Amino acid sequence: MDAPVAKAPVKIKPWLPYWAVFREDFRQTLRSWVYRTWVLVSVLTAVGYMHYRVAEFRGAGIVQHASELISDLLRWCVVGSITLIIVLTAGSISSERGTLADSVLSRGISRYQYFLGKWHARLVAVIGTFFMVGLVTIAASVFLLHADISWVGSVLALVAVAAILGIVISCGVTFSAVFSNTMLGISVVWILVYGVGFTLWLLPLHYPPQFHVLSSLPFIVRGEYNFSILLRLVGWSALISCILAVVGMGYFSRRDV
Amino acid sequence: MAESPQDLVVETYKLTKIYQNRQIAINDVTLRIEPGCVLGLLGPNGAGKTTFLRLCLGLHRPTAGWVKVFGKRMTANAANVRRRIGYIPTNPQFPRGMSPISYLDYMARLFGLPQDIRKPRLASLIRAVDLLAVSGEPIAGFSNGMTARLAVAASLINEPDLLVWDEPTHGLDIEARRSMLELIKTLSREKTLIVSSHNLGDIDEVCNHAAVLSRGQLIYSGSLQDLKGRMRRNHYELDLEGDQKAIAKATQAIKGLSDFKSVQLRHRRLEVRLNDDATNTSALANVFMTLADNKVTLVSIRSVGQQTEQAFLDLVEKEESRGFTRAYQVNEAA
Repeated sequence: MDAPVAKAPVKIKPWLPYWAVFREDFRQTLRSWVYRTWVLVSVLTAVGYMHYRVAEFRGAGIVQHASELISDLLRWCVVGSITLIIVLTAGSISSERGTLADSVLSRGISRYQYFLGKWHARLVAVIGTFFMVGLVTIAASVFLLHADISWVGSVLALVAVAAILGIVISCGVTFSAVFSNTMLGISVVWILVYGVGFTLWLLPLHYPPQFHVLSSLPFIVRGEYNFSILLRLVGWSALISCILAVVGMGYFSRRDV
Repeated sequence: MAESPQDLVVETYKLTKIYQNRQIAINDVTLRIEPGCVLGLLGPNGAGKTTFLRLCLGLHRPTAGWVKVFGKRMTANAANVRRRIGYIPTNPQFPRGMSPISYLDYMARLFGLPQDIRKPRLASLIRAVDLLAVSGEPIAGFSNGMTARLAVAASLINEPDLLVWDEPTHGLDIEARRSMLELIKTLSREKTLIVSSHNLGDIDEVCNHAAVLSRGQLIYSGSLQDLKGRMRRNHYELDLEGDQKAIAKATQAIKGLSDFKSVQLRHRRLEVRLNDDATNTSALANVFMTLADNKVTLVSIRSVGQQTEQAFLDLVEKEESRGFTRAYQVNEAA
């Protein structure tokens, strides 16, 4: 009789589970109605507002500056669509708890990888979409309106707003790992984000300077920016996002699912 | 027998789970599961079976005590240990819009299996669980039997050494249930299994060991044979053949014997219940003698009540009565 063939050990790819969660969550995010609503609202707002500005220029002959349109749209994006971004992120983990999370977390994946996969997928989906819509809007405004913008300034303005969105996304994913109830998570993040935003708005101008970037968006878009302040904004935002994620990840790895 | 704790597949020590300081789900459970064991996890609703399994998988964190799987402590981040486990939850849920191929591929990725391993393996499993014809269809439209088969395939994708199946026959029709039990029997030849089920007949058929939980406490752990051995064998049914008058006469004679609590004749079926202090062998010998004296033929004899079920119910009943006794003693002391 032939000797039994020894089973060769399978070489496990340690980061494949992370990529699996990332890819699946990214797909699910793009398929979700909240994401599609957010994209639709953003596109319709941009198209509608641009149409109004173009009509004002063609009808009344009033010169319309692309920098004003872009900065208005970016401000509205932060103030308006953040609610939808909170809904999109604050249920990322809690909505799967007890059902789908069982099927995933009972496999060869650590809680850390699961959290990182979810967090990064939401960051890429939201910020990637924001950049795509933003760049198309900037390009359209250059052709349709009085082009007084600087390309570098416009991209830096997008980066600045994306950094703020990054904090909101991280906050949403972290609280979705902390709370079992999705509605509770959304409510807490909504109150927290708008509360902090309102408090910063009430503070004296230029204190803290990096978080008053929204008021100086028209200048940044025109290329009149202070690079070090923008750099500090991005740095602080990245730090706050990372701290939030570490807290969420640490808590999630110690709790029941 | 496992020679050292390292050889054990699952070992729990004083495992306790209390939910939010409100509900005691698992209380001081110490259990050892050896390689090759097919353990049936029994217990009434709310006994803590699912909680116990989730603790073994690291989905829940113990309040006190510990779980070791393959000699390593199970935690939420023990991905390496979970790579050797295949799990089926009670009601498996599947991500929307996925097909069996994409779902199994996702599960295999979660185990870190490279493409050259996972693709052939998922193809073989889809064929094995008979989902080849619907392998590209969305899972959302699948029947209970099909989703159960897919869950089985997902639990085997990593070729695990330990299978943890929570109510695998739940919601299945007779044919699907039969196939599932046959599969468990086949897998038990080379793997260790923990099967939780409400259906004691299933446990009786496929398991060689049993653990009984009642209100979070482990009230029995050992071989299924030993569990059955604890059963009170005091209720029998005898199917008889012969002259009806002779059967009636024999019944009257048996009623006169002191070993029996009750003797009832329904047509040609004699039902006898033994006194608690009676020995079943001598009592039944007397019954056979009486039947022979009256020229009545015995067609069949059986112990009433499914054996494992009866043993299980006896255990739970005994544990609950102990509980009442304890409560009474505590009140009296106060």
